[in-house]
Amino acid sequence: MAMRAAILRYIRLPARAQTLAAPRSREWTLLGGSSASRSMSSHGDDHLTKEEVVERVLSVVKSFPKVDPATVTPDVHFQNDLGLDSLDTVEIVMALEEEFKLEIPDLEADKIDSCHLAIEYIHNHPMAS
Amino acid sequence: MGGASAPRRLSGMQKQVLALYRGFLRATRSKSPDDRHRIESIVSSEFRRGARQVDRKNFLYIEYLLRRGKKQLDQLKSPDTTGLSSLHFVPPSQSMGSRK
Repeated sequence: MAMRAAILRYIRLPARAQTLAAPRSREWTLLGGSSASRSMSSHGDDHLTKEEVVERVLSVVKSFPKVDPATVTPDVHFQNDLGLDSLDTVEIVMALEEEFKLEIPDLEADKIDSCHLAIEYIHNHPMAS
Repeated sequence: MGGASAPRRLSGMQKQVLALYRGFLRATRSKSPDDRHRIESIVSSEFRRGARQVDRKNFLYIEYLLRRGKKQLDQLKSPDTTGLSSLHFVPPSQSMGSRK
């Protein structure tokens, strides 16, 4: 019995130590997060200008075989305005990935359905080049 | 973001199909330009044929095509693979029968 009590007391200690440590570790990630975003914004100097992104996005979309280049503006919606389907949209987003040397995760790529969103996404992407 | 137009709603299954298509196109980037072009046109026409011919409510069959596509994609990712010979779209009855 004495041994069992001793073991139980021993087990309880680390658990209490963990609950104390939890808030402290959250603080640490908050600090880490803010410093990371600060270092990312300082990269802005050698980042692409908006004009350059617009121009290159439009030229990729214009070169797509099914698209009439004359109809492409920074505001066009791939499916509503250019008459493309979801497979075409995948092809365009993939072509943009190659143009800007990015890899766009599926979750983001599914949302990009217009020149406007493509331009915004690429312009805000720290790795676009 | 702008939000000038309402976002199109994709079903989970549509997203899976598009993700698979993306996977194929990504895999072709590692091939030689000739192989890449050839594989891309096969993959593209197969997906378009599926989009035209398969009833969008035929979930079982689409799931089967997704599984088969994932296997073919795994094959394509191997550096030795330079083409897709087994890519043939077959009606549901036949394809189910040929699988053990």
